[in-house]
Amino acid sequence: MTAAPSQQSDLELVGRVAKGDRAAVRLLFMRHHARIFRFVARQTGSESMADDIANEVFLELWKQAPGFEGRSQVSTWLLGIARFKALSHLRKRKEEWIDDADAAAVPDTADTPEVAVMKDNKANALRGMVNALPEEQRSVIDLAYYHGRSVTEIAEILSIPVATVKTRMFYARKKLGEALQAAGFERGWP
Amino acid sequence: MSEPEDMSRRDELETLLPFYLNGTLEGVDLEAVEEWLATDPAAVAALEEAEAEFSGVSAANEAVRPPADALSRFNKMLDAEVGAERSESPSMLAGLWARLTAVPASVAWGAAAAAIALVLVQAVMEPGRPGGDFEIAGTEDAANMPFVFVTFTPEATIADIAAFLAENGATIVAGPAAGGVFKVGIEAATAQDYDRIVGLIAAQPFAETVAPGRKPADGG
Repeated sequence: MTAAPSQQSDLELVGRVAKGDRAAVRLLFMRHHARIFRFVARQTGSESMADDIANEVFLELWKQAPGFEGRSQVSTWLLGIARFKALSHLRKRKEEWIDDADAAAVPDTADTPEVAVMKDNKANALRGMVNALPEEQRSVIDLAYYHGRSVTEIAEILSIPVATVKTRMFYARKKLGEALQAAGFERGWP
Repeated sequence: MSEPEDMSRRDELETLLPFYLNGTLEGVDLEAVEEWLATDPAAVAALEEAEAEFSGVSAANEAVRPPADALSRFNKMLDAEVGAERSESPSMLAGLWARLTAVPASVAWGAAAAAIALVLVQAVMEPGRPGGDFEIAGTEDAANMPFVFVTFTPEATIADIAAFLAENGATIVAGPAAGGVFKVGIEAATAQDYDRIVGLIAAQPFAETVAPGRKPADGG
């Protein structure tokens, strides 16, 4: 068989996985593992937990491949599985989640903007500020900026309404704007 | 949860900017953002802020480094889940690897590299033909080299692979891993060169599967 990378699509590989092709699941692992690992690590705050969960995600891919209908991108599907498994693990650890309304009002427990600005440029400061966002807002920011997901894909991955995705994005960006202003960076919005 | 009551039209457009930047915006939302960017100077400044966020978020994510042995451990989990892998009409290289798997893991990689290198050198050291242009790259050479993952068809011959890789500045730097996956280093200075060579590899009859790996630093 001769296939260019673009032709050997994720969907085709999932089809091969469904037939028991282990090389195909390994290729999908190599393509997507790093991003799945990072997504889970940033949700859970634990790289060891992310390591376990990321492997479970690809085992789940192996099991569920025959039933995958291709209604969403394979990467979106995998992120959704990762999200579900991360929440399950966190629930086992009895960690509490906060709702959107509370999230907007809860003070950050990580670095303050003043600490973040100790780093001498805006990009570094922003990196710290993003890390300090509440998890539910940070997930939306990560999925949009790093994982390149659309509003509807984020809604699917996080199992929330589209309007909630926009709300979380609004609050996240508002919080980043406030943090930048507090740190002495000029920012026009909000 | 509905949109916040105090969300102005500008707030709505600002909220869409990350999706404009990642290329997923479409329809009326895309038209609205593009019109805003074309007519309001403040929109350009807002877009620059979103770009800065883009960089910050990317850096925050890239700072999380996946473990290097993740694939190896996943293979073990997969074997535990579904049983040891059956052999399936191995190619010459895959067959070589299959024989080497009886060697203790601590020496298997070195033995594999040495054995494959020997076979490949034999394949290209034909009379009248320049030798030494196909090799298992050294660790230092391979450390920062752009690479691609390749599996070969059962019909693939060493001679075909050797000739092609030598002509295109490509080198096997590791493999085969379980499943017959080889890591092939590519001497490409730009992403465009990388894509061209990867495309060439994928177009060869001996290439079964090609999965892009590390691209050159220009990232394009």
